Amino acid sequence: MPLLLVGVNHRTAPVEVRERLSIAEAKLPELIRSLTHLPGVEGASIVSTCNRVEIVVSSPSEDVIETVVNWMADRANTAREDLEKHLYVLRYADVVKHLFRVTSGLDSMIVGEPQIAGQVKKAFMAAQEIGALDPLLNQVFENTMRVAKKVRTDTGIGEHAVSIPYAAVELAKKIFGELKGLQVLLLGAGEMGELTAEHLAAQEVRQIFVANKTYERALALAERFHGSAVQFSSFEEHLATCDIVIASTAAPHYVIETDQVDRALSARKMRSLFLIDLSVPRNVDPEISQIEGAYLYNIDDLQHVADANLELRQKKAGQAEEIIVREVESFRKRLIAQDAVPTILELQQRLETIRAAELDKCLRRLGPISAEQRSAIEQLTTQMVNKILHYPILQLKESPEEPQERETLRQTIRKIFGLR
Amino acid sequence: MTISPNVTLYVALAFYATGTLAALLSLFTHEKWTQNAGLAAMIAGFVSHTFWIGTICTITGHPPLTNLAEASSFVAWVVFAIELALFLRYRVQAASFFVYPLVLILLTISAVAREPFAKLSPDLRSNMFTAHLLSTTLGVAGLLIGLAFSYLAYVQDRALREKTRGRLWEWIPNLNVCRTVSYRALAIGFSVYTVGIITGVLWSYRTNVGLMELRSKQIGAVVAWVLFAILLQSYIGGVFRGKRIVVISACAFIAILVAILGIQHG
Repeated sequence: MPLLLVGVNHRTAPVEVRERLSIAEAKLPELIRSLTHLPGVEGASIVSTCNRVEIVVSSPSEDVIETVVNWMADRANTAREDLEKHLYVLRYADVVKHLFRVTSGLDSMIVGEPQIAGQVKKAFMAAQEIGALDPLLNQVFENTMRVAKKVRTDTGIGEHAVSIPYAAVELAKKIFGELKGLQVLLLGAGEMGELTAEHLAAQEVRQIFVANKTYERALALAERFHGSAVQFSSFEEHLATCDIVIASTAAPHYVIETDQVDRALSARKMRSLFLIDLSVPRNVDPEISQIEGAYLYNIDDLQHVADANLELRQKKAGQAEEIIVREVESFRKRLIAQDAVPTILELQQRLETIRAAELDKCLRRLGPISAEQRSAIEQLTTQMVNKILHYPILQLKESPEEPQERETLRQTIRKIFGLR
Repeated sequence: MTISPNVTLYVALAFYATGTLAALLSLFTHEKWTQNAGLAAMIAGFVSHTFWIGTICTITGHPPLTNLAEASSFVAWVVFAIELALFLRYRVQAASFFVYPLVLILLTISAVAREPFAKLSPDLRSNMFTAHLLSTTLGVAGLLIGLAFSYLAYVQDRALREKTRGRLWEWIPNLNVCRTVSYRALAIGFSVYTVGIITGVLWSYRTNVGLMELRSKQIGAVVAWVLFAILLQSYIGGVFRGKRIVVISACAFIAILVAILGIQHG
C-alpha cells in the first residue's frame, strides 16, 4: 500500500504555523494539481481545516516524503527545519486508520464534532473533480466516508450537544420534538441569551419575541432574529403563548415568579413551558421547577448537561475506536488481496498450461481409453494442481503489510514457479 | 407426517423471547445493534404468530377470540402490530422495553392455557358477538399501548424535571410524542373498548347467557373502563402529570389483565 500522509494539527503545531499552511476551499484544486505534478506522486489530496492541514499522497517510493515536506515549507514560506518539528508522517495502514479517525471526529478538538466529515468530503471531491485521485486513493477516501458514517450511525457519537446554547436546544427538542412552529420569548440582551436565541432561530421557530428594559435594544435584537419587540412591562402576556422562555437580563432579582408561570400554564392546558435562566443572579424563581408542566434550567444545569454529553462522547469514542480497528484491518486485507490478483492469475494460468500439456502427452501414450477414464484422469490432475496452488495463493492473499516484504514474497513465488 | 398447528405458536414464542431478551440487554449495552436484533426477532415472531392466528381462523371459521388462549394471543398480536406501526412512524425504541415483554407474557398465557380450538355453538354466533370480541380486543390493545406511552412520558418528565438521565433517556422520544401517542391510543382504545362493552351487553341480552354474572372478567372490564375514563378525563382536563396518574394507570393495567385472564371458554 504505497500510501503516505504528511501533516500538522492542533496538537503538533501552534496556530501561527497552521495558519501559514491552511488552504482556502477555493484554492484546493489548484494546490492539489500542483502536488500531483511533483515527482513520484501518483495521486494526492489535501485536508485543510482550522485545526489541521494534511497532505495525502500515493507513491511507490517513500522518497516522496522529502519532496512533499519541501513543497509545504515553500508554501508556508518557512524554513524546512522550522516546519519539520511540527510535522507528522504516517505510512500505509496508519494513514487509513488516521483518516478514518479524523473523519469520524475522533481526532478533533471536541470529540465527535460533525463538521470534519463534510470538510474531508470536500477535499475528496475537489481532488476527484480534477482527476488527482488514483484508484488507491479513491478507494481510501470512499472507505473513509463510509466508515465515518458507520461510526456516527452505530455509536451516535455526534448526537449530543457539548455547548450551553446547543444543550438548551437539545433539551427543547427533548420536550417539544420539532421546534418548528414554536414561539420563543427572549428576556434581556445578555450575550448567552442572544446566542441561545440564535441557535433556536436556526431551528426555524415560528416567532421570537424580545423584551428588554431598553425598548430600542429589544427592537434591534428582534430585527436580527426577524422577530417582534415587546414592552418589558408586558412580557407576562407572552408567557401563555410562548413555549420557550430565555431569561438573560442584568436584573439583580427574580423577573419571573411562580404565580406568573402558574397563570401561564393554566392557560396553556396540556402544553409544557421550557424556561432557560442564563442570568447570574438568577432571573427565574427556582421554585418554578416544582410546578407541573414547567421545566426550568439555569446556566449551571445546562453546563452539567454539556459536561455529561462530553463524557458520553468520550465513552462512545471507545466503541468508535473498536469499529475503526476492525474496518482498517478489513480494508488492508482487501487491498492486499487485490494487489495479489495479477500474480495469482498468472500462477493459475502457468500451472494450467503445464497440466494440459502433460495430460495430452500422457493420453497419447496410453492410447484409446473410455470417456469415464479420461474424465477421471482430468479430474485427478486438476485437483492436484489446485492442491499445489492452495498455499502459495493463500500466502499471496495474506501477505505481510510491509510492501518490501510483500514484494520479496511475490518474487520468490514467481521464481519458484518460473513466472516471468 | 402432520405438523401440529401449534408449532407456529411455539416458534413465535421463541422469537418473542429472543427479541425481549435482546431489547432488555440493550438497556445495559446501550448498543443499537442489540435493539435492532431484538426488533428483527420480534418481527420474525410476529410473522409466525400471524400464521398461527390464520390457522385458528381456518380451523374454527371465526376470529380467534373465543377463549383465553385465543384472546390473549390476539391482543398480543394487535399490540405488537401497533408498536411496529409506531416504531416505523416515530422510531420509538423505548416502548420496546414494555411492549415486548407484554407481548411475550400474553402469548405465554396463550401457550400455557393450551385450550383446544373452540368452535362457537351456532346459537351464540352472531355479528354482534363478533363485533363485541373484535372491538373489546382492539380496544384493550389500544389502551395497553396508551399505558406504555403514558409511562414513557412519566419517565421522561421526571428525567427532565430532576435533570438526571436514566437508562432510558436516549431511547425515549421527546415528551410531546410520548404524550400525543399516549393520548391518541387511550382515546381511540377507550372509544373502541366502550363499543365492545356495549355490544357485549346487547349480545348477552339477546342470547340469554346471563348479563353481568360478576365473574372476574366482567368486574375487571368495568373497573378498567372506569379507570381509563378517569385517565382520559385527566388528559382532557390538562392534569395528566404526577404520581396519581401512574397509580391509576397501574390499576387500570391490572384490571385489564384480570379481565383478559377471566375470559372463559365460549
